[in-house]
Amino acid sequence: MSEFGLRLAISLTQIAAVMGIVVVTVLLLTLAERKVLGWMQDRMGPMEVGPYGILQPFADAIKLFFKEDIIPAGANKFLFTMAPVLCLIPAFIGFAVIPWGPNWTLEIGGITVKPFVISDINIGILYILAFASIGAYGIILGGWASNSKYSLLGGLRSAAQIISYELNVGLSIIGVVILAGSLSLVKITDAQAGWFWNWYLFALPAPQIFAFVVYVISSVAETNRVPFDLPEAESELVAGFFTEYSGLRFAFFFLAEYANMVLVSCVAAALFLGGWNAPYPGTILELLGFPSLSWIESTMWFAVKTYSFLFLFFWLRATLPRLRYDQLMRFGWKVLLPIALANIVVTAIAVFITQ
Amino acid sequence: MPPTATPKRLSLSEWFKTITFYEILVGMKATLSHLLNYKPVTLQYPHEKRTLPDNYRGMLALLRYDDGTEKCVGCDLCEAACPSRVIRVVSAEVPGEPTKRYSKEYYMDMTRCLFCGMCVDACPVDALGMTREFEWAVYDKRQLHLNKQQLLAIGDRSFPIREKRLELQHPNVAFFNVPFKHVPPKPN
Repeated sequence: MSEFGLRLAISLTQIAAVMGIVVVTVLLLTLAERKVLGWMQDRMGPMEVGPYGILQPFADAIKLFFKEDIIPAGANKFLFTMAPVLCLIPAFIGFAVIPWGPNWTLEIGGITVKPFVISDINIGILYILAFASIGAYGIILGGWASNSKYSLLGGLRSAAQIISYELNVGLSIIGVVILAGSLSLVKITDAQAGWFWNWYLFALPAPQIFAFVVYVISSVAETNRVPFDLPEAESELVAGFFTEYSGLRFAFFFLAEYANMVLVSCVAAALFLGGWNAPYPGTILELLGFPSLSWIESTMWFAVKTYSFLFLFFWLRATLPRLRYDQLMRFGWKVLLPIALANIVVTAIAVFITQ
Repeated sequence: MPPTATPKRLSLSEWFKTITFYEILVGMKATLSHLLNYKPVTLQYPHEKRTLPDNYRGMLALLRYDDGTEKCVGCDLCEAACPSRVIRVVSAEVPGEPTKRYSKEYYMDMTRCLFCGMCVDACPVDALGMTREFEWAVYDKRQLHLNKQQLLAIGDRSFPIREKRLELQHPNVAFFNVPFKHVPPKPN
């Protein structure tokens, strides 16, 4: 096999593995969200399909696949068809630069492969932010192309909200980038090795606690989740930008929302919580004499961090009511933005003094 | 003149609560405590059903005496008592017994019934009863227009223990609407 063919095969295998993990996680999330939300509200959640409703995601998927695909009269067919895809692809494409496990290299047929990251590019975070912005186009176009006032209002709200809050996401990340001196997620994660006080959430000289809070709030807003779910406010806008969508196209939007949640959780884990690093130096499996298996522990730590972040999403959804639109904008521009900017200044000064 | 809204100056503790999201944390503690002390109030309805109260007012039914004859004497009082005009009675003489009447036809439009139980109260011979059936969802609304046979069938399956005839229950009381052997039959 030629070198190019081998590279392609390895990359496709990695992509398939990551996509599989993400889709399974999304399936799990749809069930977990309904279950956790139910338990927090003294309900049971889905109970009918399978024991304790654990097969509910499959029932949902089958239902969505076989539903009638309706394109409303007067809709812009091309954009209406494009929008869900435009929403879905950026949500999945960001996973290419997420490091899932230790920064190892393997030699396969003379080619150096990093098994736990599809592509270690040196602008990792910038890449994720850029594609997250493209995802907003999917929402806006979906709202506009539907030829429905609810969809249009939802799309407009979403445009304003995503632009406002993506700014805060980007600014809150800059503090970490200053500390790490790199945009590559692999390098940023590697720099947080050792004890948990080396994580950028607590790391000296400038703990990024405020940046983390800003990032958490902004990422909730960016993924259009409660309490920032104004684009799909069901009590005001029926379902917001995907009011007119049905069947598989609706499933795409749904999948994109959950994939976005997983993505921002992964980024939060990698940037602020040390990624795949355990809260202690090294790994227990390595100490026990299985250094070749220590990646299992590392990926488990990454999963734990990501899933606890996802649990926070559900927890917030069970607790908080929706914000009013002016509150949302005022909070984003007058509170979060100054905090993020001040954090950059403080971090920059601290790094400048200590170096 | 209404007082003008002046921005309230926050005290130090209020300000501290605002910047630490104290109120939100209180709410999140509440939801988490419900998650940890998970006691669902849900009743898995088709699989488990709640116990009905003793005076539950469910589906209406027509009853029979223990010898299988219908109780209904066709007096129309239920029709008069019904506030939503559910009931329609067509009364007639029992053939061959001129003093005795019965309901030749008896219709109930259960789409309108509000289950107040006034017809049951109004009935002088206790010919109507309220069963404990409540699962009467149908695909066609017309299936809720019940005739006499259907109402008697509901009564048969819900009230297996039947009363004796009134004149046998109270032998010393004279009853209207009971055939006497000495009354000559009406010539046809």
